Amino acid sequence: MSDLNTELKQMIIDALDLEDIDTSDIEDDAPLFIEGLGLDSIDALEIGLALQQRYGIKLKADSEETKAHFASINALAKLVQQHQTTNV
Amino acid sequence: MLSLSNWFESTPDQVIACSPDASHSKADLMARINDWRTFLPLEPKQRWVVYHSDTFEFIAILFALWQSKCIACLPSDICSDTIDRLAPNSAGFIGEFPDLEQAFLYPPSSMQCSPLVPLDREQTAIEVYTSGSTGTPKPILKTIAMIEDEIASVDQLWTIPKHATLISTVPHQHLFGLTFRLFWPLLTERKFLTKACTFTEDIFRQAQQLACYVLISTPSHLKRLNDQLDWTSVAGHCHQVISSAAPLARQDSLFAAELLGTPVHEIYGSSETGAIAWRTQSNNNEHWHLLPQIDMQIHQGRVHISGPYIEPKHAYLSDQIDISTSGSFRLLGRQDRIHKVEGKRLSLTKMEHEIEQTKWIRAARALVLARKRDEVVVVAELSEAGKQLRTHGSQKELVKCLKQALRSSFEAVLLPRRWRFLSSLPYNSQGKLSMDRLHSLFDNHEVKWPVELSRNTLDEHIQLVFYIPKELIYFEGHFDQHPILPGITQTHWAQHFGRKHFAIEGRFTGLEVIKFQHVIQPDTEVTLSLTYNSALKKLTFQYLSDKGVHSSGRICFA
Repeated sequence: MSDLNTELKQMIIDALDLEDIDTSDIEDDAPLFIEGLGLDSIDALEIGLALQQRYGIKLKADSEETKAHFASINALAKLVQQHQTTNV
Repeated sequence: MLSLSNWFESTPDQVIACSPDASHSKADLMARINDWRTFLPLEPKQRWVVYHSDTFEFIAILFALWQSKCIACLPSDICSDTIDRLAPNSAGFIGEFPDLEQAFLYPPSSMQCSPLVPLDREQTAIEVYTSGSTGTPKPILKTIAMIEDEIASVDQLWTIPKHATLISTVPHQHLFGLTFRLFWPLLTERKFLTKACTFTEDIFRQAQQLACYVLISTPSHLKRLNDQLDWTSVAGHCHQVISSAAPLARQDSLFAAELLGTPVHEIYGSSETGAIAWRTQSNNNEHWHLLPQIDMQIHQGRVHISGPYIEPKHAYLSDQIDISTSGSFRLLGRQDRIHKVEGKRLSLTKMEHEIEQTKWIRAARALVLARKRDEVVVVAELSEAGKQLRTHGSQKELVKCLKQALRSSFEAVLLPRRWRFLSSLPYNSQGKLSMDRLHSLFDNHEVKWPVELSRNTLDEHIQLVFYIPKELIYFEGHFDQHPILPGITQTHWAQHFGRKHFAIEGRFTGLEVIKFQHVIQPDTEVTLSLTYNSALKKLTFQYLSDKGVHSSGRICFA
């Protein structure tokens, strides 16, 4: 498991104040919303804010694209990596 | 203001709505209404369930139904229980129901241009649902007249500039969204967006593109606006912000007002009554003011409201209020067990009932905590099946099964986020559940004490049943992977509770026959048994559970 994936899992657990969940409970390619971790629309707003605070990522104003980024830990990691390469 | 009943006659042909790639005129809407009328097998007086995220398609469906004197039933979610509940009393489903193959979704272009007739003001237009205190959703009917009269009242209070566009983070499937996001612009010749803004960034992009906009939103979105975006670059574009669904905390109101550059106006109302009152908190005042044409009285201790669009059977409010001499008022919370969770209404009675329906739980109490977000949390007694699952599987698995079972009845935002499983609910000696005790089970600020669930006293002897919260500060680093309650903490608690109960004032002089036999782990229950020998000034303690004796010893005083 890559360090970035673990870091993102911890960020989600902290930002959402999730109980009884640690990073090993979240699968890299499982859906974060509804099924899988079972997050909801309020969680999506919090994750958006956490990405901004931690990585300086500004989400594009395209809900569909944002939903795709939020699909899984792997998808989120890709978003963070893209952001880091374009901002070197 | 335009009339809804005679909208086609009274509206000039102009752009009424915008989607990301197109704008829609009155003529487009009339064509689309005819597409839907041709597509749907409508008969007068039928009830159709409608759920569609696109506001333009949605209003076309509504007008098509009303043309045939049908009623639009508007659920706020599409959980399977909701669909099962509505199916027997409706002619069919229209819109986005992914699990229903028979739902009507894509009407072909009909090329029909049948004339559209004026509507009867007294015809029933919509049916919305809200959870009653028993938890069973109640249907609420609204006529065309009620919708028109409510907009007339709002329009008397606030005028939006002619060139403004209404944008929204709330769906039109709830009454607040329906009124403010759709009917208000529709009847006042202002443009509305067909898609809701899901994230702050969507709002920001609209703010960049629109020289003048009005934002319809809720506390959930307003308190989470991203303040790192360059809001100063769009200063002056936001004409007005309207928030409803739940009261907005004062600091959140000021935060949003500062970012958007305009005060936040809040609406107070309900699905039963529609909008009743408004306030803005920027002027250091938490009082609400009645909307034009609404009157409020106290009748025998109950709050009674009246107005052109308020039905007599919905005239009494469930909220407790404090009216000032000027007629403005403060909200003091509800009288029943209905709570707002991130703006969504939840009957705690229903939540408890659904949890108790599962095979794993014998009894449950649900509460709502205001933490970083509003959270539903549950204290429950496990059934035999529940105990089995927790022992042979894990607590995580148990929680997963419970949440899965609740998913068919509740939207994701309402699902419980924290669970505490006890051998029995902490009733006090008067047979009442102490709310403080229930709340303390979820307290995680510097937790230094166990939660006392019950106590039994007999002269020189006392038994205290404790819940050991995993948030106790003593578990930190003791030990990382295998937290256990330190012996010194156990001794300290024994001394603390012993001194309090037996009023021991002497100085601590030492410990005798201390034994630690079994570890005490987080999230468990133990009984502390204390006996005081006042002649010898010795306090004997023992920590017990169904695992046997955890520890024991004597504390000596001088």
